[in-house]
Order: sequence, then structure tokens, then C-alpha cells
Amino acid sequence: MTEPLLELRDLDTEIAVRRGAVHALDGVSLRVMPGETLGIVGESGSGKTMTALSIMGLLPSGGRVTGGEILFEGRDLRSLPPDEVRRIRGVRMGMVFQDPFTSLNPTMRIGAQVAEPLRVHEKAGRAEARERAVEILRRVGMPRPDRIAGNYPHELSGGMRQRVAIAMALSCSPRLLIADEPTTALDVTTQRQILELIDDLREELGMAVILVTHDLGVIAGRADRVAVMYAGRVVETAATRELFRAPRHRYTEALLESLPEAADGERLYSIPGLPPDLSQPLTGCRFAPRCRHVTDECRAADIPLTGDTHQFACLHPAANQDQLHARVRPERAPAAERPPLLSIRGLVKNYGQVSAVADVSFDVAPGETFGLVGESGCGKSTVGRLAVGLERPSAGRITLDGTDIAGLSGRERRRMHRQVQLMFQDSYAAMNPRMRVDAILAEPLEIQKVGDRRARIDTLLDQVGLSRQVLERYPHEFSGGQLQRIGLARSLALHPRLIVGDEPVSALDVSIQAQVLNLMRDLQQELGLAYVFISHDLSVVDYMADRIGVMYLGKLVEVGPAGDVVRNARHPYTRALIDAVPTIDAPTVEGLTADGRARERIAIEGELPSALNPPTGCRFRTRCPLAAEICETEPPLTGDTHQVACHFPLRPARASGAEVAHQ
Amino acid sequence: MVRYLVTRVGQAIVVIVLVTVIAFLILHLLPGGAARATLGKEATLDQLAAFNHEMGYDKPWFQQYFLYLRRLVTGDFGYSYQLNQSVAEAITQRLPKTIVLSLLSTVLAVLVAIPLGVIQAVRRNRSADYVITSLSLLAYATPIFFMGLLMIILFSQVWPVLPPEAPQGFTVGEVLAEPAGLVLPVVTLAIVTIAVYSRYVRSSMVDNLNENYVRTARSKGLPEWRVVLVHTLRNGLFPVIGLLGMYLPALFSGALVVESLFNFPGMGQLFWQAALKRDFPILLGVTVVVTIATVAGSLVADLLYAAADPRVRLRRNVS
Repeated sequence: MTEPLLELRDLDTEIAVRRGAVHALDGVSLRVMPGETLGIVGESGSGKTMTALSIMGLLPSGGRVTGGEILFEGRDLRSLPPDEVRRIRGVRMGMVFQDPFTSLNPTMRIGAQVAEPLRVHEKAGRAEARERAVEILRRVGMPRPDRIAGNYPHELSGGMRQRVAIAMALSCSPRLLIADEPTTALDVTTQRQILELIDDLREELGMAVILVTHDLGVIAGRADRVAVMYAGRVVETAATRELFRAPRHRYTEALLESLPEAADGERLYSIPGLPPDLSQPLTGCRFAPRCRHVTDECRAADIPLTGDTHQFACLHPAANQDQLHARVRPERAPAAERPPLLSIRGLVKNYGQVSAVADVSFDVAPGETFGLVGESGCGKSTVGRLAVGLERPSAGRITLDGTDIAGLSGRERRRMHRQVQLMFQDSYAAMNPRMRVDAILAEPLEIQKVGDRRARIDTLLDQVGLSRQVLERYPHEFSGGQLQRIGLARSLALHPRLIVGDEPVSALDVSIQAQVLNLMRDLQQELGLAYVFISHDLSVVDYMADRIGVMYLGKLVEVGPAGDVVRNARHPYTRALIDAVPTIDAPTVEGLTADGRARERIAIEGELPSALNPPTGCRFRTRCPLAAEICETEPPLTGDTHQVACHFPLRPARASGAEVAHQ
Repeated sequence: MVRYLVTRVGQAIVVIVLVTVIAFLILHLLPGGAARATLGKEATLDQLAAFNHEMGYDKPWFQQYFLYLRRLVTGDFGYSYQLNQSVAEAITQRLPKTIVLSLLSTVLAVLVAIPLGVIQAVRRNRSADYVITSLSLLAYATPIFFMGLLMIILFSQVWPVLPPEAPQGFTVGEVLAEPAGLVLPVVTLAIVTIAVYSRYVRSSMVDNLNENYVRTARSKGLPEWRVVLVHTLRNGLFPVIGLLGMYLPALFSGALVVESLFNFPGMGQLFWQAALKRDFPILLGVTVVVTIATVAGSLVADLLYAAADPRVRLRRNVS
């Protein structure tokens, strides 16, 4: 058996805080073989990033490794002199960070940043280093690398900046690349390009990769082996296929069940409670307080990882059986023919020269969830802000219950605001940090002069499942999931009929996300709410929405019932978007397509065109593999219940009725 | 870029005009009046009235103001009867010397403050940081005239190595010919500035050292000096560039005290003596010049900022 490239033995890491220390890692042991990809997956606070930073010796201030060994190529990095470790870090290892927008030096040219390790570690001359930097940039798929080398980071898109970061990490041909959430800040189609690039480079250069992510889908498609972390420990590790086929640790099992794409019925499984506080001493299984299968033994003593190739630290593991099966999603009954609650017609919003929303029309029925998906910059959030009246459209009509809200003013406008409320992605940023929760919840009632605030607030807390005690606390005292509940309570205060949620669960961990999604669904049933659910995450929208609209560069390119749009996408862009989403479905693990049949896969290349000067005709045509001359004229949105704006719509996988592809 | 410059210069002109209005009003609302100050206690009421009429001081203030403004545009700052020379001449004689004083002390301050701030940021919350922080706060809290006196006592009396008086030369060349005399005024003026600048450099460097790009630089295995000096310092100095322009008025008020204290024949001393003698044309003239210098200074600082930071350059091209 070959020697592991990297081996962690009982690694302990602490972060000093004002009072005491957070035990970020507790006895973490891992192995990475040469040339393999190890996925480390976990929720926030699980220690996955701390593991990566401990290996690289890049812990934040106050952080230090307090015990264990980091064996890299057989030598313990903890016992080597600092200059030697620094050299190893620069030459033998490379790291790519999460946020490409902040992880490059803003005032240094790209070429200089990529060439720097060569100049420092290999003493390359200026001209030679530059030449090699350009070569590396070309290798990571940078168009016109010699020109880009002279650019500054802010002149590049997020995906391009991440390519630069990868180029930088690879400049000295490392044996190990650590990628910490390398695609979390990117759109799915870009994510796919970057993940494929990392895969290709790994194969070509024969290096090992540690892929750290919260996204189980990303891991499923890319890693050879997976380590699952929870509260500073590794709880399960196995070959990727094995882990997703038959997760043994109860945490892994629960995590997989919390995924929206895993939903069998109406409700998601949600893990109750929150992860433990790592500044306190802990004994026993750290997942025990949230586990369905907990017994007294679980709390008594620490549970070691056991097993040979598939290791897990659980006393009551799940049965070793195939848990992946084709999910059958119950088709939701189409909303009965009722007059729409919200009707948007020919909506246009320009910011100066920038065309943010261009001629968008759709309806939302009472009690319905309308999902709006698209990548960043497609205009979905702008549509949301227009729908709640936060901004005025440049053209078009927005009617709520038959009244055009764009024309309202004063008192009527204020009344309209009762009907429609907004829910934000970052509820913390959307609350005044100096206001207590009682004041936050009372404010809309005061503005709208609604009587008996006390009773109303009590009802709201009950509805979102929070206790009375939260009223006396301030926003910073809450976790992300609790803040979303408070945000939802505030939105509900005035008995709205429609809530526009702009990425309401995107900042949450999977298990918390499930709690909030379930809550939103329960409230919908109870109160007959309609939602406009805006998200970049197709699987969440697919789970929540009755109907879905897909936006690209300010245009609505496809609208239809959720199941139809996701499983029988007709617009090439929608299909590309769906294909780009990494999933853990069985077929993906097997490397087949989602419905088990050959299907035209569409991968889009290149960059999103500027909204300053969008393409004429179909705005997707510049990146569409099917584009032809006719696409220079704008395709109308046509169809009955499933509408698509495309001259060459994809054929439905199963005949779905009257629509005919007009070619 | 041209459009940006035009708007900025336009804004600058508006600011200057507003400042002249305010200065003009304040000076003319003061009791006593220029006539009495100029003609002395023995002058009769008739003489005062005649003087006021001749100078136009009996007209409504806004008429006086427009008259003043019209002359100002042609470069006529008025005439000081007490110095018996034109305001413009009095200022042009002294301004270069004040510029020399301010420039030397600013250069000294920047040269000392940047390393101090960097050391503090790198050694944050360690002893070096605490010592420098305490000293800066002490320097910042000490009134400048007291600091000057302290310097004179220490370096001219207790340990007499430097002259207590600044060079009295008429031209810049003559002043520079006596460097020993410049040391105490320049250092006194620089000390407070060092305290302010080093705080700015420290906090800006601390912010930048916590940025993700610094972590990326470390991940490349760069030596720490390279991480700090090549990657962080440039970004950390941007706020200081902005401060250079904003700090001019404070520098002038410092110069005012220092020049009086060390008997340095610059614009600060001119202003100080004019204030004692209620020499309004001089007071107004100096105020206008300092205003123009401040506005021009912040404009230059912004342009420097743009030249140094590629991100600002881009934003400007878009807008």
C-alpha cells in the first residue's frame, strides 16, 4: 500500500476567545492518498474549514493547533522549523478560498499575483515568471491570458477570479490542493465549470485534492472519499458512493434526509435544535441532543470511529442497506382556476442604461407558491422589489387583487403594503440592531395603526414557533434560523396575502433550512398565503413551488408547473441550469443521467453578457448551443400552462399535450 | 475623467465662495471696526466716517462683499494700512515659508508615522503596540504650544543643542540656509501629526491584515515581511492619502501657534498678529488662501487616491 500524502492524527485546534477557548477541532484524524480527492463535508461550525486552515497553518489570530500530528509526505509539519513549513505551504500545497471577490489583492495585477510564488520560491526572473504565469492562466481556461495578466481583480467576474485563485495555488505544481468551498459564492453554471477544471487539473498533474464544502451534491459528484464532520469531529468516513448509498452515522443520515431534493412527501425531515457550543466541555456523541435514536450510552463516553474502510462513530448506526431510491415526488394538484392575486404584465425596470428587467409577465394565484429562479444578475430580486412596491417600474403593470399598485399613492399605497410583505435573505442585516425583537415586531403594527399589538405579537410568535422570551432580546443574540423566524413573524404581522421571499433560506445550513422551509409551508396551509419564492437554488424552489419561472438576463424564458419545468425543461437555458446542479441522486453517482435515459445534456460556456448592452433578440443566444439566425428576433413566451420563450424548444421527454415546437 | 475634474473644481469653487461669505460676515460683525483699529484712539468721528466712506465700509455688507469678491477675482486681496502693504504682497512674502515648514513637518510625520503604524498593526495588542499607542495619545493630548515650550526648554536650555528661535530670513533660501533653527519648529509641528497619522495607519493596517487577500498571500508561502510590505501596506495607506488633504487646516492652525512661538515669519504669524491688531484685510486674505489650499489639497488627495487605487479608477470610467 502506498504511503498517504497527508495524514492527520488526533488533531486538536483551539481558537482563543474573550473568555476561554473554542475547541474547533477535537481529535480529527484523516488520510489523503496521492492523487485522490477527499471531500470534507459539514455544516457551519463543524470544523471543516478549521481542518483545512490547520493543515495550511493559516488559522485566524488566536487560533492554534494544540495537539496531534500533521504528517505531510511523512514529515510532521508541527515539528518542522517555520521557514520550512512556509516553503512547503508555498510549493507542495496550494489553497483556494471561498470568496473570489475578496481573496485576491485588489491593487495587484493578476499576472504579478500568479507569478509571485514562482519569484519567491523558485527565484524565477521577472520575464520568466510572467511567461509562466500566463501559461498557468491559459491552463486554467482563461481567455486571452496575456491580456488578463495585466488586469486587476475587480475587472474580472467571480468565476474568472476563482480561476485566477486556482492558477495561483497551482503555480508551483503542488502535490495537494485544498479547495475550501471553492464554488459557494458562484452561480451553478460557473460552479460546474470550476469543479470540472479542478477535476481535470487533478488528473493532469496527479495531485491530491481536499474539497471542503457544505454542499453534499458537490461532494457526491467529485470526491473519491468523504469525511463527514460535526461539531469539531469526524463522525463518518467512507468511499463516496458507499457513503451516499448507505450512510451509517445518524447525523449523516439525517443530513441527507433534510435535503429538499430528498423530500418524499410534503414535509422535509428537519434536525431539531442547534449544534453544541464548542467552548463548553462535551462528553459523549455530540449529535446526541438532536438525534432520533439517542440512548443513555450515547451521552456517557466519547465514541471512537470504528470500521475498516467505512468508518463511523455511532452506537446505533443506520442499517447497512441501500437508501438511495428514485424519489417519487407527489405531483401537486394544479391551483384551481381563480382570479390571480398578483398579476404582472410587461414589467420593465431600467437603471440608467442597465436593463435589469425586460418585459416580464406572470400571475400568482391566491395560496400558490410561485418560484422565481435564475443566476445572479438575472433580475429576479428586482422583480421581487417591484412586486412589493419598494421600487417603481419603468413600464408595465403590477395588479394586486385587481388594483394597479404602480399608480397608488399615499394612504392607498400604505394599505397595499399590508397585503404584500418581503422576507429577506439576511434577516440580521434587515433588522435594526439597536431594536429589541418586541419593537421590531410592533413596528409594522404601529405604522399601520393596528390595535392590540401585544396579542398580535403573541400570536405571531406562536405561529413561527418562538417563545415569549425572545421579545426582550436583540437581533445579534439569535442564530440564522431563529432570525429567519423573526423575519417571517414580522412579515406576517399585518395579515398579508402575499409574501415575497428573496433567497429566504440561502444563508442557512441544510438542517436549519429544512426547519424554515417546513415552517413556511405550514403557514401557507394555515393562513392561505401566496409566496413568490426567489432563489438561485433549483432544488429548494422545486420543493417549495407550485409553478416556476426561470429568468435569464432580465427576461422570463420559461414558466410552468414546477415538476414540468424541472423534469421536462424546454428552454435550453433551463436545461443547462438543471444539468449544472450537482445532486446526490443515485443516477448521478452512477454517472448516468437523471431519468436513466440518454438525454441531450447542455453545458453553457463563457460569461454572462452585460446588462448594459444585452444581446438583441433572444438574450441567451450568445451562449446557446442551439442558436441560429432566427434567434436574433425575440421569441415570444408561448404555450398553455408550460410556456417557453425559445425558437427551438427542447422536446418534452414525455408528451405533455398541446405544445408544438414551432420551427 | 475630464467630467469628474470639472465637477470637482466646480464644487471647490462653491466651497471657497461659501467660506469667504462666512469669514466676511464674522469679521464685519465684530465690534470695533476697521476704522478705529487703523486710525487709532485719537481719531475723531468725522475722520472715522471719512475713512469708512473711502473704504466703502458704510455700504450694506452684501455690497461690500460683492465689491470684495470682484476684486478678489482679479487677484486684489485688499490693502493693509497697518502693514502698509497690499495683502497679496504680505501673503506672498510669508506663504512660501509656511509651506516649507508644513511640508517638512508633514514629510517627517509621514516617514515616522507609517513605520510606527505598521509595527503597531503587526504587533497588535503586544507591548510595542501598547507603548506606541500610549505615546501617541500623550502627544495628541498635549497642546501644541506646551509641546513647543517643552522642546525649547529641553533642547535650548537644559541641553542647549538647538536655537530656540526659527530662522529670520526673508526668503525661503535664507530660511533653509539655517537648518538648525528649523529643527524645533518642524519637529514640534510634526509630533501631533505623527500621533494622528500613526493611529490611522495602525487601524487601516489592522483592517487590511484581516482581509482574505492577506490570507491568500500567506497561503502562497510568502515570508511575513513580504505579506505585510508588498501586499498589505499599499492597500493600508489609502486612507492616509485622503487624510493628507483633510489635514491641511489642522496643519495651518498648528503652524499658527508654532510660528508665533518660535517667531517664524510665516503666514501663521502674520495671521496671529493681524488678529491682535484687527487687521481685517489680512485676516480675510489669509482665510481665503487657507481655504483654497484646503480645497485644492483634498482635490489633489482624491486624485492621488485615484492614481493609487485601480478600483477607483474604474468606477470613474463607468460613471
